Amino acid sequence: MTPFDAFLLPPGCERPPVYEVLELPGGASIRYPVLPADQCESLLSGLEDAGEALGRTPVRSLSRSIGRVADRLLDPADPLRAEALEMLAPTAGISPEMADSVLAGMACDWTRERLDELLDREFGSVDVLDAFQPRDGGRMVRARGPAISFHVGSGTVPGVGVTSMIRALLVKSAVLLKPGQGDVALPVLFARALREEMAELSHAVAVVYWPGGETELETMALERAPVVVAYGGDDAIRSLRARTPVTTRLVTYHHRVGVGLVGREALGSDRGSGVARAAAYAVSMFDQRGCVSPHVLYVEEGGQVDPMEWAGVLWNAMAELEVELPVGRLHPEDASAVHQVRGVAEMREASGTGTRAFHSDPGFATVIFESEPDFVVSCLSRVVYVKPISDLVEVPAVLKGVERHLQTVALEGSGDRRPALAEALARLGVTRITPFQEVPWPPPWWHHDGASVFAGLVRWIDSEETPSYSSTCSSTRHNTI
Amino acid sequence: MTDDFEGLARDLKVAFARGTGEPWTEEVFDAWATRIFSYQFESNAVYGAYSSKRGGTPSTVRHWHEVPPVPAAAFKALPLISGDPELVQRVFRTSGTTRGREGRGQHHVLDLDLYRASLLPNMRRHLYGGGASLPLFALVPDPLVASDSSLSFMLGEALATLSDGKGAFFVDEGGQMEREGLRQGLRETTSKEQPVVVAGTAASLVHWLDWMTEVGERFELPPGSRIMDTGGLKGRSRTLSRPDLYRQLSAAHGVPLENIVNEYGMTELLSQYYEVSAPESAGTDLEDRRHVAPPWLRVRVLDPITLEDVPAGQPGLLCHYDLANAGSVMAVLTEDLGFEDAAGLRVLGRVAGAEPRGCSLAMDALLSKGESR
Repeated sequence: MTPFDAFLLPPGCERPPVYEVLELPGGASIRYPVLPADQCESLLSGLEDAGEALGRTPVRSLSRSIGRVADRLLDPADPLRAEALEMLAPTAGISPEMADSVLAGMACDWTRERLDELLDREFGSVDVLDAFQPRDGGRMVRARGPAISFHVGSGTVPGVGVTSMIRALLVKSAVLLKPGQGDVALPVLFARALREEMAELSHAVAVVYWPGGETELETMALERAPVVVAYGGDDAIRSLRARTPVTTRLVTYHHRVGVGLVGREALGSDRGSGVARAAAYAVSMFDQRGCVSPHVLYVEEGGQVDPMEWAGVLWNAMAELEVELPVGRLHPEDASAVHQVRGVAEMREASGTGTRAFHSDPGFATVIFESEPDFVVSCLSRVVYVKPISDLVEVPAVLKGVERHLQTVALEGSGDRRPALAEALARLGVTRITPFQEVPWPPPWWHHDGASVFAGLVRWIDSEETPSYSSTCSSTRHNTI
Repeated sequence: MTDDFEGLARDLKVAFARGTGEPWTEEVFDAWATRIFSYQFESNAVYGAYSSKRGGTPSTVRHWHEVPPVPAAAFKALPLISGDPELVQRVFRTSGTTRGREGRGQHHVLDLDLYRASLLPNMRRHLYGGGASLPLFALVPDPLVASDSSLSFMLGEALATLSDGKGAFFVDEGGQMEREGLRQGLRETTSKEQPVVVAGTAASLVHWLDWMTEVGERFELPPGSRIMDTGGLKGRSRTLSRPDLYRQLSAAHGVPLENIVNEYGMTELLSQYYEVSAPESAGTDLEDRRHVAPPWLRVRVLDPITLEDVPAGQPGLLCHYDLANAGSVMAVLTEDLGFEDAAGLRVLGRVAGAEPRGCSLAMDALLSKGESR
């Protein structure tokens, strides 16, 4: 199989002299360039120039052009969609069925309607992205993205790279994207299609994959870009943070985990099978690699089905879903981790400690029921823990210690306890509470890890033409002159 | 009629005493392995229940390949004892990092003599050139201060028995290397033209090499001297490939490459593999080397996804069947990758990704309450 070119350089960039090929599990491979210093330099200055030009493009025409690419990815008759589906599964290590789901789920948030709604929600009047706008009193405000932003994607959640690219383009920033190893296909195809939509965009996006860090390009990009957006594990983020100048805005999305809470109200007449199907979906999507993916499900006692029995119901739902949405080609270490975890759970089960392991061969869907309430990090690849809890209100206390890595809490069946529970989870540090079905697909305007998705990307500029004597503070201060 | 541990261990010691040179036939190994499986099935209730769930019982297992392995991680989760827990003579612990809530792995050993019966002949063959009682300079803590380290135990036994008590341990209780002492020792042995065995973890050897470079030390150890390294090279202050480590060890000690031997072992196994050179390569081509087991240790190489045996030459997860583990669990599925071909086993190392994957990784440090530093 020909390696997939995990890069797209702007037109006019010199052809890189050296390429490397990286073999992926399952027979696919990706090719990436090794850029010498002078080419890194010209790439970055080219992007900066393109970013300046992009700054003069009206924001609505950007969302229109980006949206057209999304429409193509959603159109069953479009060859771009066919190519994306063909490349996504082998490069991301996901099944073709999962690739279909991921593309549909991601691209519908990249359409013009969704992007315009995002802009409206975040900026009020989007005109602030095009020119100074009067706000209040004599104040004018303007929001500007940097001429260039450097984006470092993570691992194998396909779509993260394109989402990051789009956020930056919407605030008129040229983009250098280093996608995660399993997320190379969509950014390359997306950037290529953008070129066909709008001349201004063709020079404003570069996608280059390289493994590890500390290459010439990475070092130079960290020095040059006023904004760096990074997704990844804590070690990767720590390393980037150490190498980023203090004057650079660094927006980081570090390691995150999710949990689920199933209250007795959801464990009624259907024996919890409805919530089990939704939870199975939340766990299985992206083969559990999302920052949103749940690791542990706390299940309340006292419903019509007890937590251990519900674990079996959940496993049935996960096993069924594995037929519909098969697991991808796992890396050896991921598969190995699942075998170790399953084996240990079965040994615990055999020792009579109250553990139950639900799984079957072949298949990766695994539910481990454990009576101890402590949070456990899953080895992923569709391995989830179910733990009984006498009352959902006890969960926030149990999660003490993981709160800095906790992001999404799926919550169902809490009835009228929901407001108090939400408050307690918010106090703990959780940034998203949602039903299981919504877990994989936060809307574009979600507060990703607790902040506006544009918060680090744009600078707000306040311009005051006349002193605002109306304010009490001002008049007090000026009287003293 | 099933065995009792004492009788089984006695018979095993007799079998091990026949030596490591002559391979056992498939039938001989199979008979031993199925006998031990039956014993472990009956005497270890947890393992018996686990095996049954996986479809392995003494009446269904027809071949040692069908004996259900436990994951190596199980040694961290619960005591694996096939026999009377009251009779445990020693608990060895893995030194590795703890993973989440799970602590260090523990190997409960019922019979240290059985451990000795496995490790000593194998070590004599691979490290002592079959006979001569060379002094042993060990770059690990003395077993008297590190009584839960299986590596210290092994080297302690070797020093007492194979080295006739000659040699010393050069790492103290706190993990500090007594470099001046080691330097003096190696100088003396060189002047006396007495060949030695220097043994340590790869990490301790790197540390020693760094110090030698710093102080400008170099040895020309007498012919017949050997160096043994064991353990991984990752996560140390200085990352070094194994070929580089061997070249540097060779140059710094005047020991030819073919006399530098890797030991592949783990706390969870009471028998070890040693890496040998292909006869034609004279030990210089490290890629040609293979890990050789004593006759009472065999390996299956399994597809990481399906856990089916892979064809010869294909890489997979190593699943060991160690008869010396009669008192714990014989069949252990590791997270080590390797392949087996006509020449033997080649260990490729721990499975590990080229880079972290997923923005939600199963990360060890997760539970360390936020930033670790």
